[in-house]
Amino acid sequence: MEALWFLYYRTFVNKLKKALHKPVTYVYIVFVLFYLLMVPFSLKALAVQAGAANPGGMAAMLTLLAIWMIPANLVAYAKRKGLVYRESDIHFLFPSPITPKKVLLYAYTRGLFGKLLLLLFGICLGGIAFHISWWRLLLYAIFSFVVETFMEGCLMMIFYGNERMTERQEKLFVVIAYGISVLLVLLGVYTYVTEGTGLAAVFTYLQSDLIKLVPIIGWYASVVHLLFLPPTVMAVVGTICYAVFTLVVFLIAWKLKCTGEFYEDAMKFADDYEEVLQKQKSGDRTAMVIGKKTKYGKVEKQNWNGTGAKALYLRQMLEYRKTRFLFFDLNTLLHLIVGIGIAAFVLFEGETADTTAFYIPGVAAYMMFVFSGFIGKWSKELLSPYTYLIPDSPFRKLYYVTLIPNLKNLIQAVLVTIPGAIVIGMSPLATLLCIVTCTAMASNRLYAYTVGEIAVGNVLGNFGKQMFQMLLQMIVLMLGVGGAFLGYFLGGVTLSFLLMAFAFLMADAIFMVLSTLNFFRLEVN
Amino acid sequence: MLEVVNVTKKYGKTLAADNVSFVVPQGKVGILLGPNGAGKSTIIKSIAGLLKYQGSVLIDGNDSRTVAAKKVFAYVPEMPFMYEALTVREHVDFILKAYGAEASEEEIRELFDRFELTDKQDKLGNELSKGMMQKVSICCALVTKPKVLLLDEPMVGLDPAAIKELKKVVAELREKGCTILISTHMLEMVRELWDVTFVMDKGHILGCYDREKQENEDLEALFFSVTEKEAAALAEEA
Repeated sequence: MEALWFLYYRTFVNKLKKALHKPVTYVYIVFVLFYLLMVPFSLKALAVQAGAANPGGMAAMLTLLAIWMIPANLVAYAKRKGLVYRESDIHFLFPSPITPKKVLLYAYTRGLFGKLLLLLFGICLGGIAFHISWWRLLLYAIFSFVVETFMEGCLMMIFYGNERMTERQEKLFVVIAYGISVLLVLLGVYTYVTEGTGLAAVFTYLQSDLIKLVPIIGWYASVVHLLFLPPTVMAVVGTICYAVFTLVVFLIAWKLKCTGEFYEDAMKFADDYEEVLQKQKSGDRTAMVIGKKTKYGKVEKQNWNGTGAKALYLRQMLEYRKTRFLFFDLNTLLHLIVGIGIAAFVLFEGETADTTAFYIPGVAAYMMFVFSGFIGKWSKELLSPYTYLIPDSPFRKLYYVTLIPNLKNLIQAVLVTIPGAIVIGMSPLATLLCIVTCTAMASNRLYAYTVGEIAVGNVLGNFGKQMFQMLLQMIVLMLGVGGAFLGYFLGGVTLSFLLMAFAFLMADAIFMVLSTLNFFRLEVN
Repeated sequence: MLEVVNVTKKYGKTLAADNVSFVVPQGKVGILLGPNGAGKSTIIKSIAGLLKYQGSVLIDGNDSRTVAAKKVFAYVPEMPFMYEALTVREHVDFILKAYGAEASEEEIRELFDRFELTDKQDKLGNELSKGMMQKVSICCALVTKPKVLLLDEPMVGLDPAAIKELKKVVAELREKGCTILISTHMLEMVRELWDVTFVMDKGHILGCYDREKQENEDLEALFFSVTEKEAAALAEEA
């Protein structure tokens, strides 16, 4: 353990030293502190409004978190994807004489610092928003950080270290974890049927005795209940179940013989994780799916003609043609669903005001911010030396490199606009302008990335660069919204869309011109 | 001594190593040769305990997955990966603690001098070039004074001076009784070093050659004579 402690300690100290040398760290600290101070007070206001500013509210919140987190953790451990090892661990740690169980504990405890911070935040929240006495919060902290962590660690060890477990049994555990989730949903449906909707029903559901019967999650909820609320028979029974379960899993984990067969799975996961990490480091915030790799099929030989920068577009197209759904992905489907959702909402709510049309660009803007990163597949062109060596103008390069992403933006804009436009009864011109607005807005995000690259490079780090890119986009959005207001008051919805589209297209044009600078300097990338 | 006994490894339906057996006697340098996709990396990773496999691997008489075996075993992978927040020196200190091994300051200094790392001791892992990382990886392996050393393409990324030094180190370790297995494509680099050679292709060992019993000591000729014979046999079969 001395070696692992050394590894922890030195890594922490060196990272801290490095971080303290960066001015941006202090900016982040201010942001985080501000956030941490703001959230408990905002939540307090919410809790008061919901009539939950009491220990019951805290118990309900923790139960909700358990419902969300525990099945997900169980599935991750059962699939041997819950622990993160880096390539350096595979290089140095796996072949070393440190026992595999300690190697497991090392990866598990690496995440505890974050858990401790969250717990501290939770305790503050409990005191401020839910008026829980400090000794109860202290008891909860001990339970959460010691008992819960210990029990979860034992479960983790059983799933990872058990070398007798067959693939079928592994799948069975995953099914059980999903089964628990289904059970909880069914209980929710039952509460909905008997109690109706509303916050009161949610509290009834989260504090019900039926929930306390659900293995692990319910038993956890029982302990929480006992810590914060007057005891009930079910809470006591659930707590005893939790204690017995913890003891049993500890004994199993203790007796378990583990020679390190999990290293192979951990290695595969580390590869995938490293890939995702690299993508995220380069600013692709959407890169989160681990282990799912794009499958490329074969396509018939094409006789595509094109020289210069067009070759970049043709290469991208060829790559997309080899995938199953061309460039249609989950995001495309999501836009269609949201488009239909807008139409359904307008239809059922009977919205008749002409401003209803603005729901469409509003929702599209929200989706763009939440579901899409600044960069996509196309951005790898900026890393390829061939992009710079192709004898063509920078503007043509930028145009062809981003042609397919822009086409995708157009398709998504059409999908999100048309259903709502039909139901709202928008004129063809207004519909067309709405599509242009949504496309230009999404393209704006795309070019904000390249402008960010050229304007700040790596001076502020990736996070800082993303902040800058967001700031750019917010300014453009504000201009668009300003245009929309002006247009609406001067001539109605159509003029409003026209001015909005104009603002976004102008911003696109300016960003494009600035972005071409990227193609002059390979060395910055 | 390093013994690989009937090791079989499947990736799904693909048989990467089929009943592979060989022995590298104590104090000898074994070379694992084979074209790309022959199964060398699978065998190397199996020996290092990174893969699940059928069969057994014995290191100094102990199952390779036991702590006793790992204590006397060191591994230099083809692609070195450093802890990005540990310095070069801290990597060595960590390895010493992990292996419960001891090395005097003088020994560590000498090792760093040999691989020109003395002035890089305070550099963090993420500040090193690939060649530097490979040197650190080699130093970490050597500092534990292993009885069995596994080197996977150790010369890739090294500068000529480091290659020369590594060859010297391998020869010295052999003199001290260390068992070494090297997987490499750079036949020229191991020409003077090898004692036993194992030629692999398509997951099988095609031939084992002992230098003492071998008239033709040229590894390249040996390698091509085996692999071309196999290719011709396969073509005939087809």
